[in-house]
Amino acid sequence: MPTVRLRDAGEYPEPARRAFELSKQWFNYEFAEPPAMSRVMAWDPEFGGPHGRAMKRAMGPGEFTRGEKEMVAAVVSGVNACAY
Amino acid sequence: MAGDALWYEAAHVVGITNALNVAADGLGPLMAPVKAESAPAEVAAVFADIRAFYAEGGTGEVPLPFGLAAHDPGYLADLWAACKRAFADNRLGRRLKTALAFAVSLTTRSGFGTAFHLAEMRRLGVGEGGVREVVGVTQMFSSYTKIADTLQLDPDMGDIAPVDRTPAPGTGPR
Repeated sequence: MPTVRLRDAGEYPEPARRAFELSKQWFNYEFAEPPAMSRVMAWDPEFGGPHGRAMKRAMGPGEFTRGEKEMVAAVVSGVNACAY
Repeated sequence: MAGDALWYEAAHVVGITNALNVAADGLGPLMAPVKAESAPAEVAAVFADIRAFYAEGGTGEVPLPFGLAAHDPGYLADLWAACKRAFADNRLGRRLKTALAFAVSLTTRSGFGTAFHLAEMRRLGVGEGGVREVVGVTQMFSSYTKIADTLQLDPDMGDIAPVDRTPAPGTGPR
């Protein structure tokens, strides 16, 4: 159980709700509520904004495809024993 | 990256990478590896196969974990067979598998694995930009995972990928 109360998308200000829409596009998936991590990162836009941009920059296609990078991300999450 | 076969292959790479790294990092300073010059015939044959696998543009050395395992020739043979299978081109290519091994090694702070798989990535043609891409992904997801763990977030993205209903290998068409 999370140590914080995750706010519904509607509890966030408009700029965050716009970011949640971008999140749907990024994952190409219609979430009932934005993923918990998206809502966590929207809590402080001055942290979540640049962190998210760094992530998207890292995940963008380059020598490795987005799919290949998703697999790298998955194994990093796995060895960090992160269930999320 | 759809289909379970890809993820089974990735998991095998992660596992065997960690297995090699723990021995090299933990035992390397404490135990001498078997040297090729003094290896018995059955070990020498495995060493030759290892060198061939890493040969093109490589150092020609037998990587440390295999030298350490060679004190038991039967164990070496099976360890190498599993490693070779895990890293060989299959549904996932060796280049990506090596990038995964590099990311795992970096994440687990393996000095041996990080250096070894970085050299392997370069040997397999990954440029400095590609190396930085893998480092970037590793860093960012080392951040996300710790944020998620600190806040004890429940997984909520498991449904975005379709379930692979194909049977296990050997039981039907794949």
